[in-house]
Amino acid sequence: MSVLDPSDQGATLPAYRLPWRSRLAALVRRFALATLAGIVLAGIVHIVTILLIPLVSEHDAATAYMSFGTGGKAELLTPGASGQPDLRDADPATVTAVCSYDLSGGPLRVVARTGTLPLGLSLHRRGGGVVYAITDRAAIRGTLEFVVMTEAQHDDRLAQDEDGETTRELRVVSDTQQGLIVARVLMERPSDRSEAEALATGVACGLAD
Amino acid sequence: MRGITLAYVIALGAGLGFASAQYAVAGRPLLGMTQIGAWTSWPRSGSRDIDPYMRAYLVRGVHLPLGAGEGLELIADRDASGVGLDGRCRYLITGTTPTTRGWTLSVTDLDGHAFRLPLERSGFSDAEVVRDEQGDLRIAAAATPEAGNWLPLPSGGRFQFRLRLYDTPISSHANEMRPEILPRINRVDCR
Repeated sequence: MSVLDPSDQGATLPAYRLPWRSRLAALVRRFALATLAGIVLAGIVHIVTILLIPLVSEHDAATAYMSFGTGGKAELLTPGASGQPDLRDADPATVTAVCSYDLSGGPLRVVARTGTLPLGLSLHRRGGGVVYAITDRAAIRGTLEFVVMTEAQHDDRLAQDEDGETTRELRVVSDTQQGLIVARVLMERPSDRSEAEALATGVACGLAD
Repeated sequence: MRGITLAYVIALGAGLGFASAQYAVAGRPLLGMTQIGAWTSWPRSGSRDIDPYMRAYLVRGVHLPLGAGEGLELIADRDASGVGLDGRCRYLITGTTPTTRGWTLSVTDLDGHAFRLPLERSGFSDAEVVRDEQGDLRIAAAATPEAGNWLPLPSGGRFQFRLRLYDTPISSHANEMRPEILPRINRVDCR
């Protein structure tokens, strides 16, 4: 077998001595495959990142207002107050009070008295998402009341319910242990501020039992 | 060679993956957005079936979106003809609002903050606005004073109108809203 024999040159020579054309083709193929693999990996990284952000974020409202309302009364958010992170996208014509909750100690009872100004209560779970929202139009004799609990606590309560007796409390299941109860009151005129603040801070959120 | 290929795959995957995720949630995501005339809304941002992109966007800042049963926020950064809102122009907001318990219309910068203008008015509520004989809305938005319901604008630069409808039955089916039931933003002239 002669070295100069062109017929079997490609088969016997090591890869780095392949003709430049086939070496380039192999390189391009390898590059294309690697790029494809990179894009697939990027897709996975993208999805995982999006799903992980809510779990690791430290800048969300639930973390920012964690110390608010732990005394059993909703606390007012004052825009521009020092030491208080500003609520983004807040309507300047509303007064907002929040109550942070942690259901590890048991279900939470939220009681709000209604007035003449529109009041909305919403339950924001930790990690984003509104679990429940209700307005004062659903109030019975001027009072809005509901109990927030986890799925397990809800099962317990269902088991404790007397057979055949209708329960009077409105039960809301939160899929996270922690979150915020937000009371928003719309000021129809700037002069309504004191009334709106009284309504918003009048929301009680203490342990249910 | 194999090491270089692996490094390239990982670098491309991680770089492209993180960059695209960051880009997707840097602003309000396009997914879940509803366009009604000049107004945009994210009706699912306040409900249980919120999408992962909106959730990621919301937890990256101190956001407390309106609950689906509580109200609906609509944002406009363009006028009815599709041109971006500019403080150098005068705008007329006319028409009607859907049935609500109350609404507010305010002027904000692109991040949702109110401008610090000499005059302390960044918006109107439905109780404050003066209506015409037919009960229709007519708000003039301009940097210089206007007769009637005047909403002061910054003297230049981009801004947004935010319309918040409180306790409205439409928030659950915002996707089916027609542009006619929302106020129309018309540009009058520009300096």
